[in-house]
Amino acid sequence: MTLASVPAAPRKRVRRHMPDYVPWLLISPSVILLLALIAFPLLFALKNSFYFWNLQMGPTPLGFVGFDNYKMALQGGFFLGALWNTILLTVVGTAVEFTLGLMIALLLARQLKGMNVARALLIMPTTIAPIVVGFLFRYMYDPGGGLIPWLLTSVGIPIPAQGLLGSSTTALWAVLFADVWQWTPFFAIVLYAGLLSIPDDILEAARLDRTPPLALLWHIKLPLIKKTALIVVMLRFMQLFNTFDLIVVLTKGGPGSSTRTLGYTLYQAGMVDFNIGLSSAMTWMMVIIVNAIIGLFVFFAFRDWD
Amino acid sequence: MDQTEKLPSKVFAYAMVVVLLLVFIGPIIWFVLLAIRPTATAFSMPPVLFFEPTWDAIRYTFVDPGNNRPQLFNSVIVAAGAVLLNLPFSFPAAYALSRYKIRGRKNIMLWYLGLLMAPPVAFLIPYSILASSVGLKGTYFSMILICQTLTIPFSVWLMRSFIDEVPVEIEEAARVDGASTAAIMLRIVLPLVRPGIIVTSMFAFVFSWNNAAFPLVLANRGTTTLPIGTLQYFGTAGVTWGFIAVAAVAAMIPPMLIFLALDRYVVRGLTFGSVKG
Repeated sequence: MTLASVPAAPRKRVRRHMPDYVPWLLISPSVILLLALIAFPLLFALKNSFYFWNLQMGPTPLGFVGFDNYKMALQGGFFLGALWNTILLTVVGTAVEFTLGLMIALLLARQLKGMNVARALLIMPTTIAPIVVGFLFRYMYDPGGGLIPWLLTSVGIPIPAQGLLGSSTTALWAVLFADVWQWTPFFAIVLYAGLLSIPDDILEAARLDRTPPLALLWHIKLPLIKKTALIVVMLRFMQLFNTFDLIVVLTKGGPGSSTRTLGYTLYQAGMVDFNIGLSSAMTWMMVIIVNAIIGLFVFFAFRDWD
Repeated sequence: MDQTEKLPSKVFAYAMVVVLLLVFIGPIIWFVLLAIRPTATAFSMPPVLFFEPTWDAIRYTFVDPGNNRPQLFNSVIVAAGAVLLNLPFSFPAAYALSRYKIRGRKNIMLWYLGLLMAPPVAFLIPYSILASSVGLKGTYFSMILICQTLTIPFSVWLMRSFIDEVPVEIEEAARVDGASTAAIMLRIVLPLVRPGIIVTSMFAFVFSWNNAAFPLVLANRGTTTLPIGTLQYFGTAGVTWGFIAVAAVAAMIPPMLIFLALDRYVVRGLTFGSVKG
């Protein structure tokens, strides 16, 4: 902001005093450290994705197997099933959290007395570690006296006998609900900030024109907070796509494979089954998918940015 | 706006706020109650709201034998260490990305952002094996180092937004007087953005504190952090919910207090500085 407001002439003078390598000198330590921290594991995984290596059988790779690990991952829907669960969780989760968050943001934007306190308290679920949210919901979902099954049965909604997390038809939705609980406030608070930044005269003009509320939201408010909305949608979409600690606590991918996300699948292959080769192959498949999605977001959302 | 609101609409709005607080804060209170609840009432339905509080679970987890007390300490060391190690890397980068219009600036910023959206789980197995092979597994340093993949990109983004707000004219005056870039950065800009650095550090602390993925594979019994230590109570002999609740509530409190204290910066922190809030 401030940089753009500086007239062109002084900047020229500044550049004469600051040779071009200075910014790179300041940036490079962080870039080099980060490159090292991500390059080593990625190359390690790339190499081992072509080897048969089970940690229970030996501390070093046991033999070159070409693309066998990739083939094994793609066989029998092992990887694709997890990808489908992940996409379902991510798309539905982002959409539900955005919609509910926007509704709450509109409510908060009425700025009634005392709502500031409500807003400050509302963000609390988002501050909790996802793994701790997992503990909290495992308690509340407990089929032997948890709060949520009790509430549902008391209003007449039937619960599967194995519990919400124990039945393959409900488990993924139960995991999703915990995530929605944690992250809807995130959307609410950020979108509320976006709504507040809309200039009053625009809203006043719309009010004088008697714009109906839905048209006001759709044609005026949403376009004006588009940039903010895109940022939160992108961040949340990627976090959901990478979901794994919530699964570790709530379901361990089960029952069956009904809640196996991509993240949990490669964690399980490596840290539970000790199949480093298979886990490494899936790591690369996931990294490529994640990069493609981020690339799409950046291409469409950040083209005219900065 | 207040005067134009009709009364029924106002009542409805307040009713909605009450419902929202019940839904979003209720479960947290329910979990806090579990920490001081007599075991017999933990799963009695209809729920028991009033009971004689017991401090047994708190005593067991934090006093005698107090297994979770060193874990709390470990969480503080890892999160604080991650923040301290990140500052000398992120501050100069944030300064450069704010003040110099270099080629590729946008791409560098997006690269940092990409790291924040990368799947941590993809790195876990390599980190776990690589850390063992260089003898770092189980050390605080391994966790602090790996946390830099989160804290550095986050801090660069958030700090840059604070440095952007410091007028560049002051620096130009100093430069005319012959000050070096290092002197300008450390003696002029650093003191001016100190509040921004503190806010950034506190959020970075929360993100490292809440990170469970890296300690899950890098920590050992002695260095494990509080949330991971809590997993031990999901034993084969049954789940001891009272202990889980005490440890989990202890893990919840610092991030909550920090978010309450930083209220006006919360939107900015959660969006890495891209929404001012």
